[in-house]
Amino acid sequence: MPDALLLAAAVACAALGMAWLALAMEAHWEQVRAGQPPARALRTLGVLGLAASLALCLAVDHASMAVLVWVMALAGSVLAVALTLAWRPHWLRPLALRLRDGGL
Amino acid sequence: MFQNFRQAMTWLHTWFGLALGFVLMVCFFFGALSVFDREIDRWAIPGSRFAPQPMPSFDKVLKPLFASMQPTKESVDLLRGKVDGPMPGHFDVVQRMGAYTTHRDPVLGLFAAYEVPGAKDHDDVAWGTRTIDPRTGAQLPDDQLKIGSQFFYPLHYSLHLEWKSLGYWIVGFAALMMLVALVSGVVMHRKIFREFFTFRPAKHTQRSALDLHNLTGVAALPFHFFFAFTGLVVFAGIYFPVADTQLKPLHELHEKQEAQETGLPHERAGVAAPLASVDAMVAEAQRRWAAQGMAGEVGFLALQHVGDANGYVSVYRAGTDRIALVGNGIHFQASTGKVLREDPPRTAVDSVNEFLTGLHLQHFRHWLLRWLYVLGGLSGCVCIATGFLFFVEKRKKQHARQGRQGARLVDAMAVTTVTGMVIAAVGILIANRLIPESLPVGWPGRGDLEKYAFWAAWALAMVHAFARSAPVARGRMNPAWREQCWAIAVLAVAAVLLNGLTTGDYLPKTLAAGYWPVAGVDLFLLAGAALAVLAARKLKQRAQARPAARGTVEAAHA
Amino acid sequence: MASRLAIRSRLHVAGRIAAALLGGYVFCWGFIALGLAGLFALGMPFHDGEHLLAILAFPLFAAVFCWAFVARSLPRVWLVLAGGGALMAGAGALIQYGMV
Repeated sequence: MPDALLLAAAVACAALGMAWLALAMEAHWEQVRAGQPPARALRTLGVLGLAASLALCLAVDHASMAVLVWVMALAGSVLAVALTLAWRPHWLRPLALRLRDGGL
Repeated sequence: MFQNFRQAMTWLHTWFGLALGFVLMVCFFFGALSVFDREIDRWAIPGSRFAPQPMPSFDKVLKPLFASMQPTKESVDLLRGKVDGPMPGHFDVVQRMGAYTTHRDPVLGLFAAYEVPGAKDHDDVAWGTRTIDPRTGAQLPDDQLKIGSQFFYPLHYSLHLEWKSLGYWIVGFAALMMLVALVSGVVMHRKIFREFFTFRPAKHTQRSALDLHNLTGVAALPFHFFFAFTGLVVFAGIYFPVADTQLKPLHELHEKQEAQETGLPHERAGVAAPLASVDAMVAEAQRRWAAQGMAGEVGFLALQHVGDANGYVSVYRAGTDRIALVGNGIHFQASTGKVLREDPPRTAVDSVNEFLTGLHLQHFRHWLLRWLYVLGGLSGCVCIATGFLFFVEKRKKQHARQGRQGARLVDAMAVTTVTGMVIAAVGILIANRLIPESLPVGWPGRGDLEKYAFWAAWALAMVHAFARSAPVARGRMNPAWREQCWAIAVLAVAAVLLNGLTTGDYLPKTLAAGYWPVAGVDLFLLAGAALAVLAARKLKQRAQARPAARGTVEAAHA
Repeated sequence: MASRLAIRSRLHVAGRIAAALLGGYVFCWGFIALGLAGLFALGMPFHDGEHLLAILAFPLFAAVFCWAFVARSLPRVWLVLAGGGALMAGAGALIQYGMV
């Protein structure tokens, strides 16, 4: 069922995107890793993740439905990332990439 | 009245959020459950636990059933006082009848609107409904309550308060206040971007409750806004019936013009006419849809002016692959089967309206989106519940010092509408499994008993919440929260076990067979039980930790 | 003295709520009546007009509801909302009279 896989990928991309956007904030980066976050690079990654998620949603459904799925997936991702940061922040350590700031 | 804009918004959010929050809990929780209303129906009516069926043949299956239908007793009772002369014993003239089905319906709902001879308002009709197994035409017993689609679903938009549509108005007002609360909440929330992902459960209750309130409110803000807004749009005809009152003459002018343009007669001719083959009309409709590149199933079938020369049959396509509701209607002359009209493409405004209402009413086929809707609805519940918790925590100690009962009252009401409501919902499912299939003569119907069980369970939870609320007046936690969490856990597991015991459809069996409607409800109940246990234990930790903290504060004062 | 202030303040709050609710409702009713009659007169299909005005009316109601609590003068709120609503409803009635 490729549709189910595409949607799963869309949700995963949204979650990754939101995680990166969260880690770009100092307060949340510090929950996971010492030092300063490469904020611009992480925000770029975050936006790319959200964009990829939208593209995947559009690949599965009619545009009006795809946008709804995407917006709801974003909401779910924000909640998932926030709850992870609250209870198991170290799960996000692999995403706290120590990049050089100023983009990828 | 206020110093500045933010103060005004804060006041509005606090007091209207509190007052209408109790109503909104019901709307959001039962709205969330209603996403899977038909699946809950399957759980509640074991006789309907088979696969969804397409619309059956009208000529062979539905026509004889319609011929034997009559209005329900309730519908006739509603018309007393609106008729000149005696109420007819038999209703012969059908204004409109039809059937509606979706990709989630194994059973089929039939409806008929009967003209009322001698009615004072000639638009008044008597309604008849029936539920059948579309594979055989067998009728399901009338007193099997569809707990999902006929109880939880109407509860969320009308509170089952039908008198003068009072429940609809209360829900409508609550929805309007939801919009106000969302806007005022954003105005109040100074660090909305900085605290976008913030949740600090380890902090004291007031802070962690506010964090969670902000998180669930902001993360799903588009969802909360759109559901309150589209809910109002769906019932706009009730809230602002301008076209039926002040502008009724304009409305009737339009209907006459439309009848001429569309060729669909507005009134009966008064001349009897036979009914041509509806199956042939359905086949023609499906042929036309396929020719336009949108082959589809029939979602809605309706006959207008039944038995009359002006009668017509409307066939609509099921909207499973779009947000917008059923559409692409094709209308046939009832007596000959000739195509009278194909609905033209929608106007821009109509498309927007169908999108907005379709977004709320969810006739589409998309399992992920449905589950995301449930998540959104439950987030709304968490938002409102944590709002209550924050309200109480902020005032509890002050009220304790001043000997006021306000925080205690709000807290007890919060227990009632959060855990108490869940207890009632699980309670009706348990009653559904325990009440015998056939009841002795003179007893209320099975469905009525289930409803009584729901309200009784909720009332009991309320009594418990108030009875245990004394500690709140002393600045402590109400133990009813923890106790009702345990009750939810026990009841939810009991419901799952009872389903297996009374129907044989134990969870391993439904999972192995892939019968997701029933397996899904069972799994949801078990997940709820697990969450309730977690919550109960966290609450106990919090209750035990606080006396120690207070002890040090008191020692410092001494 | 304190209790008199409290009563006056409570009356004022009640007045604001009434203005927001009732005045707001009348205002939105008038908006719909004028809008629907006007758009229909200008050629928009009737049900399109109904739907469009309903979609606009609810956010409008939320907005004027908030405004009722933010505005300095309560009498002005009543004048604008109830008065404005009545005027719009009247205008809508006139348009209907001209068409029917």
